[in-house]
Order: sequence, then C-alpha cells, then structure tokens
Amino acid sequence: MQREDDFKIRRKNIKDLSDEKLKERFWDLANKVVEPMIEMAKEYTSPSIERSVLLRMSFNSLQAKAIVNKCLELDILGKGAGHIVLRLAKEENIPYKEAGEKLASGELIEKVKRIFKIKA
Amino acid sequence: MSEIKNVNECRGKMDKNIKKYVLKTNEKIDVLKILNDLDKYKPRRKGWTWRKKLPKGTLVGPFTYNQISENLENSQPLPAAHYFKNIDPQPDCIITSEIASGRFEDDIRRFRMAAYHGADHIMVIRTTGQSHFDGLIEGTPEGVGGVPITRKQVRASRKALDLIENEVGRPINFHSYVSGVAGPEIAVLFNEEGVNGAHQDPQYNILYRGINMFRSYVDAAEAKKIMANAKMLQIDGAHNANATAKEAWKVMPELLVQHSINCAFSIKAGMPQNLIALSTVPPTSAPAPCIKIDLPYAVALRDFFEDFIFRAQMNTRYMESCTREVTVSHTLNALISRLTSAHLQSTITPDEGRNVPWHYNSIHGVNTAKQSLIALDDIKELIEIKDEGILKEKVREIKERAILFLEEILKVGGYFEAVEKGFFVDSGCYPERANDGIIRYKEGGVAAGTIIRRDKDYFAPVCCHFGYNNLSLAQEITGKKIVDKDIEKESEDIEKGKKIKESKNMGEINNKVCDLIDGCTLCVHGKISYIDELDEIDNVNVRLKENKEYRLGRKVKPEVQWAGDGVIVLSMFLPTGERTSHFASLEIARNLGLKETEVIHKQIMHPAEGTYVEVKGVVPFSIDLEEVRMPEIIPNLEPEYVEKIVREKNLKVVAATVGEDEHSVGMREILDIKNKGIEKFGFKCYYLGTSIPIEKVIDAAIEVDAKIILISTIITHGEIHRINMRRLNQLAIEKGIRDKVILIAGGTQIKDKMAKEEGMDTGFGRGTKGIDVASFIIRKITE
Repeated sequence: MQREDDFKIRRKNIKDLSDEKLKERFWDLANKVVEPMIEMAKEYTSPSIERSVLLRMSFNSLQAKAIVNKCLELDILGKGAGHIVLRLAKEENIPYKEAGEKLASGELIEKVKRIFKIKA
Repeated sequence: MSEIKNVNECRGKMDKNIKKYVLKTNEKIDVLKILNDLDKYKPRRKGWTWRKKLPKGTLVGPFTYNQISENLENSQPLPAAHYFKNIDPQPDCIITSEIASGRFEDDIRRFRMAAYHGADHIMVIRTTGQSHFDGLIEGTPEGVGGVPITRKQVRASRKALDLIENEVGRPINFHSYVSGVAGPEIAVLFNEEGVNGAHQDPQYNILYRGINMFRSYVDAAEAKKIMANAKMLQIDGAHNANATAKEAWKVMPELLVQHSINCAFSIKAGMPQNLIALSTVPPTSAPAPCIKIDLPYAVALRDFFEDFIFRAQMNTRYMESCTREVTVSHTLNALISRLTSAHLQSTITPDEGRNVPWHYNSIHGVNTAKQSLIALDDIKELIEIKDEGILKEKVREIKERAILFLEEILKVGGYFEAVEKGFFVDSGCYPERANDGIIRYKEGGVAAGTIIRRDKDYFAPVCCHFGYNNLSLAQEITGKKIVDKDIEKESEDIEKGKKIKESKNMGEINNKVCDLIDGCTLCVHGKISYIDELDEIDNVNVRLKENKEYRLGRKVKPEVQWAGDGVIVLSMFLPTGERTSHFASLEIARNLGLKETEVIHKQIMHPAEGTYVEVKGVVPFSIDLEEVRMPEIIPNLEPEYVEKIVREKNLKVVAATVGEDEHSVGMREILDIKNKGIEKFGFKCYYLGTSIPIEKVIDAAIEVDAKIILISTIITHGEIHRINMRRLNQLAIEKGIRDKVILIAGGTQIKDKMAKEEGMDTGFGRGTKGIDVASFIIRKITE
C-alpha cells in the first residue's frame, strides 16, 4: 500500500496529550500488540522447544533430535517429549535416560503407541 | 554459580578449572591447551557483568575524568598516550568487538587483541545459514562470515576468554545469537556454557531470515525465559531495519515500534528490564546533516525506554570502502552516545564495507570507540541538549508517529496481520507508506506449520520452561514432589482446568521443577552431555596441522584473518583516471608477485589528475623466522656509571635546532632534567634555541670548549636535514675541531645510517630518550 504522509491529520487525537500520557499510551498499545503472541506461546510448543527440554534432561543434541522426530512421526509431541520419555521409563521401569536413548534408536516404539493409545 | 564481582574472584575458580594455564603477555595463546580437557570445563560464572565505574573526578595521569571505569592491568593505550604518561583510561560503558573469522581458533586470538585494546564484550558472529539449521551443530567445522555455534566452539571460546580476562584484569562478556529455528536449544546451550549475552528478537527471524512468524514467537518465549535464568543480557534486532530500509532515516517511528514489541514481549516472557537492551543505531551519515536527524531520534528513544539498557551500535547502512569516511561516521555515532546515553558502545570494523572484517580493523573499531568516548568525557557538563525548539518538536513527532503505527497494527488485526500487509521496513516515514516493506505470510516461511498445540496432559520436567505445564501429572508419573509453592498452585490450577494467565511463577525464574528428574542441566552442570567432533575432516585438529608452522612461530606470513592467510594491502596513488588506475594497480600488484589480487578501495583525487587505490593480494612466500636479520640491540649504560664519567670529565654539550626550524620540543626532551634528559647525569648544557645557523653552533662549541654537539633538524623539505648535517661536519673540519667533538643529529625523520652518511657520529629518531643519547656519548668517549 502506498500512502502520502497524512501525519498532521492522524495525530489529532494524540497531539494534545502530555509527554507522560503519550508514553503511557505507547506502552499500553505495545502491550496490547504482544498479548496474543504471548498467549500463543503459552499454549503451543515446537520441535525446538521439545529438543531444548530433552537437552535440559541431559540428552545430547543427536538424541534430542531423534526422540523429537519419533514423537512427530507418532503425532504425540503435544504431550511433551519429556513427558513421553518419563512415562515410557515408568512403564518399562527403567531410568529415563535409558528410555530416551532406546526411543532415539528406534526401540520401544510399539510400547509408546500402546501407552498413548495410538492407532495403527 | 555466583555472580562475578571482580576478576580476582574469578581467578581462584579459574585455577581449578583449567589447571593453572596462565597467559603470558609475551607468549601466544595455545589453542591445544584450550582444547585440552574441554569436556570437563565448567564456566566460572553465568550472567552479564558491567564495568566498575570510578567516582567523578578520578585522577588518571595528569587528568581528571568523570565517565571512566577501572583501569586494566595489561592493555595497549591509544597511540598518542606516550605524550600523556602512557595512560589508558577506560570509558564507563562496555565496548563491543564483533568477531567473524569463521574459525574459532583464529577468533580467540582476535578476542585477545580486542580485549587488550579495551573491548569487554566479545560478540561472535554465526556462520551464514545457521538460522535455518533445525537443531544444534556439533564439533568445530569452519564457517562463512562467522563460526558455526556449537557446544565445543562456545566452550573453547569461553575458556579462552577466562584466560584473557585474567590477563587484562577485567571480566569479559561473551555474546552470540539466539535466533533461527533452533532458538530454545541455543538458549539452553548458552545458559549451560556461561555465554553472557545474546541477540534474541523474533522480529529478526521473521523479517530477515524468512522464518515462520508463529514458530518464531512460540520459540522466543521459551528462549527468553532460559536466557533470563542465566541473567544473560538480551539485545534486540531492531537496528536491522536501519541497515535494510532504502532510506534508513525514514524508519525511525518503526524502530520505536520494533523495540517496543520485543521489550513488551520479553517482559511477559520473564525477562527483567535491566537485562533487555535496545540495539540502536544513529540512522544517517554525512553528507546528510546527520546529527540534526540522529540526535532527536536518540532522545525520543531514551525518553520512551528510559528503564531499559541501551546498546549503541555504529552505522553500517552507509558504509563504503573508505575506512577514513567510516571512522568519521563512527566517531559521530559515539558523539550521539555521549550526548544521550549508552550502556554498551558497540563497534563496527571500518573495513566492513569492503571485505569480511580483518582483525586489525576490528581493533581500529574498538579504538575509535575508546578514543571518542574518552575524548568526550563528561561532555554534558559543558553543553546541554536544548529542551525547546526544533529538537523538542522532532522528538515529539517521532513519538507520535510511532504511536500511530502501533494503533494501526491493532486496527488491522494485530502484529501478524501487519506483517502480512508489509508494515515493516517500509521506507516511508510512517504514516507515509512507500509500499516497499518486507511481506511475510502466516502460513509461509521456513518451519511453517511446525508449532503444536499443547495437550491437556502436556508437561516438561525442567526449569525455565515457559507456558502451560501440567506439573501435577508430572509429579504423579515421577512420584516426586515439587516444593515450590507457586508451582504447586499453578499445577493445581491446571488440574482444575483454570486458564493460567498471569501466574506469578510464569514470569519468574525458578530452579525447582527439575526436582522431578533430580536436576536439569541448567542447575547441575555435570549432567550436560558433551559431544566432541562429528566430522573427521572439517574440524580444528585438521586445520591446526595445516598451518602449524605459522601458529608455532617458526615461519611468518602476513595475515588479516587466519593464521598464514598471507594477505597484504598495497596503497598507491596513480596519476591516471579511475578505470585505468583500477587495472594498472592490479598489474603493479601482480608484477610484485602477489596472488589473488583485488582492488578493495579506490577514490578519485581528480578525474584527470589521479586516483588513490588500495589493492589486496596474497604473498606467495613465507619468511623463516630464524633467518630474519635484526640489528643488535646495544643496551644503555647504567645511569650511575654515566654520571660518574660525565662528572670526571666535566662534559659540556652545545645544542640547538638548526636552520630555519622552530621545533624545540624534541631537543628539550633530550636535554631537560625534568624530562629525564641528559642534564640529570651532570652534562653542562648550552642550549642555543631554535633556527640557529650552523656556524653559530660551531662557534659556541669552540667558545665553551664543548666535547659534544647536538643538533635537532626536523624539517626535511628539499633534504634540508641532510644538508644541515653535512654542513655541520664540514664546518667542524674547516675549524679544525672535528676530531675533538662528537656530532649528533636528532629529529623525527633522522636515522642512524643516514646521519653517519652525512658525517655525524650518530643519529637519533623518534622516541629517543636522554639515556640513549648519554649512553652513546659515554661509550664514544671511553672507547
């Protein structure tokens, strides 16, 4: 969109605001703009977030990538990669590191499917 | 890990960490020692460190300063410092050096040089393309325009900086980028490895890296919370609009908007204001009347964002290949910093407009900042920015335009819609629109469609996780309890199906959730899984073997970027037009034997009379250091011995600046007792003054029976310095005293060999001290 500079017309609602009020308005607007983005961030996750969770759980980057890819294939990343690893460890009664490593190398896929009731 | 208070506190921790490897200022940093035991290395601290400011009126050498910080223990002062007792006062604000060699083993040498000149914020640029790499890279592969950011490179770099901060005596902040499609993972890596600051701004991902906007914001909240936990300083990406827009000075209202979006989002993601830095650049350069445009913008920004941190960057938008022009622009940028404020003064290498930054140019950039900031010490005590007239009007106008911009974002449905409509990086001065903004689509871009809604039973059992987290289920599965009350409350709320909106815990830092897994890597460093190398060919060990002889100092080649790269620059004036000069200069370089020649700068002096050209090329040979011939250094005599002989022999000196030459400073330095001149050894000095005829000098020597004649001859026009020396010798012969007197000439252009050619006993050049001259005289007299 091309538009001439109509600043003088547009400013009529703010031109009489004091400097303090102007600043307040600026920050009110900025906070309103980011509100939907922050809400979205609370409700969604991503492959990178889930890999970062697995890194914090002491998996290396190659294992983290493999585990997240498996979760994506099974369409269960919305449960959280850390959740899946811990749940698998509990069901198998093994340490979670071992559970994650097995999942990364393609083992226990059927078990995961059963736990999270994935068809086919 | 505790916060650092000073460098001595670190040193204790350091010894345990790296087995007492101490850098010696006369030795090269040893990359192999850095790489040794890297898998066991733990960073000595996390978080950002500011300089320790000194009180107003602090005396450094002969001057008082109001805006300085603690001196370094080892540093290289500005070139003119030797006139001022070699002082090297350090400005109060952090100084950044950007490092982009592409090989970390060369980066670390540049860290050391930059720190030695006063940089304490080392910003390592990432390799091209890493933003689109979905995951972490490992090992030490070579990069383009920067290094691939990997755990090993980050760890080795931080370890090297620990050594370097010990050498210079000031903590150094290490910085890189938390952007791209692997932001949260890189944030974890940086938190774990003690990286102190990072760029993080989802707008950068969207606009300049073409990454999907939803993915960028979802990832950003997580990354920011992880960064906040380590008290890393965040720098935003708004300055890129300056560097991209066709008419950079018109995007000022938008810049305020971009800063506000990242600031507001960061706070909501859990970052405290004092860790959020605005990356701001004076948008214009001469021949625009830049101060008149840049100053109101800088004031408007500081008004609206007064509680945030200001990272003042230098202008890159209008950089051409002339390093002189760039240096002037950057000096004016530092003037804006001092007239307003800056917590960090970042630097741009003056050669960035013509090639990848070369290391000595990085150092020039650091010195441009240091020199300007120190020169402008407390400028606001002398002049003040007017609070009326055109400046105030302009400030108000920029602010109002920014508010109108935000209003229209909301009016069109929000940020994402505004990006789709090309609101950003439009070169119209908002509300003017030029219709040349960057357009990105919600469903488009790299990693589009990759965000996933969290299920009701979603959880992540680690610290610093942002957003919905069903921790009551996590506790049930692990059978472990989290003790933190806020987390419990949040967890209960989730169970009851309450929407977590403004939970106290959401924005705060906690280290408790990981009790579920007996500690996460952010809390227990030992739990990190370290990968060394994945590529057998593309790694540091292979590169170190290739250029071993240059690293160990057996052979030498010039270099600008990497050890042994062989690059040099020829500067020349050719009395021909631009095009002819271009090709003639390449012929000259090739005839000199240079390879890979390239013109990197040319400037017309006059279309017909000539052109200045700089040509780079690669030297096709190396020098064996054992074969380098250097004149023997003759040590000076002990002052006591000199004094004994002078008094025994009652030595007299006649001294003068000869010819039509009014320079007196050099000679006074050599003579005066207060300048540690030769008077202090007991010489009786007869100083005749300036513009003294040679005849008068000889007559005076005969009259007072002086054994020594010192002449100073600075002017060299028409070889007058040589003529003066020759005349002095001839006249001494004619008067029959030549074998009874020692003739010494001095001056900035005088060399010993040249002086001897003209009949002097010796000659002294720039930097000569009284003891040098006295030692020569005594040796001559007693030989």
